[in-house]
Amino acid sequence: MMYIQHFNCISPQHNVLNNDLDLLNDASEKKMQANEPVYESIPPGVLRRMGKAIRMGVGAALPICKAPALLNGILIGTANGGMEDCIKFLNQMVQYEEGLLAPGNFVQSTNNAIAGQLGLLTENKKYNITHVSRGLAFENALTDAMMQLKENPAGCYLLGGVDELSTYNYNIEKLAGAYKEEVVSIKNLYTTDSPGCIAGEGASMFVVNNDAANAIAKVEAVTTLHSNNLNEVKDKLKIFIEENLCDDDKIDLFLSGENGDNRDLKYYTACESLLNSNTTVGRFKHLCGEYPTASAFALWLCCILLQKQNIPHHIIKKKTTEKKLKNVLLYNNYKGYQHGFMLIKSCR
Amino acid sequence: METAELKLQLKKQIVEFLNLIQVKPEDIKDDEPLFGEGLGLDSIDSIELIVLLGREYGINIQDPKEGRKILVDINTMVAYIEQHRTK
Repeated sequence: MMYIQHFNCISPQHNVLNNDLDLLNDASEKKMQANEPVYESIPPGVLRRMGKAIRMGVGAALPICKAPALLNGILIGTANGGMEDCIKFLNQMVQYEEGLLAPGNFVQSTNNAIAGQLGLLTENKKYNITHVSRGLAFENALTDAMMQLKENPAGCYLLGGVDELSTYNYNIEKLAGAYKEEVVSIKNLYTTDSPGCIAGEGASMFVVNNDAANAIAKVEAVTTLHSNNLNEVKDKLKIFIEENLCDDDKIDLFLSGENGDNRDLKYYTACESLLNSNTTVGRFKHLCGEYPTASAFALWLCCILLQKQNIPHHIIKKKTTEKKLKNVLLYNNYKGYQHGFMLIKSCR
Repeated sequence: METAELKLQLKKQIVEFLNLIQVKPEDIKDDEPLFGEGLGLDSIDSIELIVLLGREYGINIQDPKEGRKILVDINTMVAYIEQHRTK
């Protein structure tokens, strides 16, 4: 377990707590692109070289790194890193026959450039790692943070999940059938009975430690599974709940990664069926779109909901009686075979 | 191409190539140092500028010492381009 002290996010939305769905940013050209802020905390000379993933990651992290010297490490989950720069560099190799190649794109293209750049800007030379395991990249970074805190209980870590929506990965994923063929508004994302989802992107950052005082939320447990077997997914969730929730405790909110793709709906429905009737069910992909580290956005959203004790109705799929929000179960699956479960508890 | 025209073209290329988002080409002075206090470029930019010279003007700089004399300001770069360009 670990405690979240600070959190920040760059996502397609300005304000996820708008109760009116009309006030949220809708998808544009079948994509939900991040609403990037003015990056005042990044020196202009550094910012000009940054690709989108690095910009978002660093831009989301720096405002919450209030005492970077005290951080014992930086742990980032990103499936694709700076994909746009990677493709620019590869195209250069072809165009200039592996001759004169500008190094900038290459430097920015590697997955570990986000954590690396954060280390440089905060002058933090401690543990610096990037997890790249596709749809479980963030869950694995989070597991790593928990392990670090077990070894070093007094430690404090920066944890994040970042992925950008580049032209290249959008086109490749589109050809593979990942996205919807038709234009879909976020208002009816969950009711279009068709394959595919809406592409998204974002960066979510957290400062975590073992200190319960003043913490916003506690990540009680995390587990992952690689499988496309429905029964294995259900069994995994059953065991996860049994191991981490006391008999007299219950899940108040099940935050589901349902993304409008009718091929993956069965996993979410199966997990919902295991919950008792007093559990509110919510969804978040209409706010951020689908991307490999969308679960980091879900954790950020969870912190907001626990802090405000208010669930906007566009998030709610199944409402139960009003009660204090204490325990939240996050479930996300990526492409139907990478499943991540997180149990989050309120600290206030 | 006239020297003044070449200078403006080079300034535009530098701004675009190095993604100097807050700099307008016409704001770069001909004798303003490119590195350090002037335009504030750094070592990675020097490699980008060498690549720029190769791609746009067919100039191949092999010797780093030679690069240091060329990449001083716009005047020195343009003087070198005028003498050595192959395209």
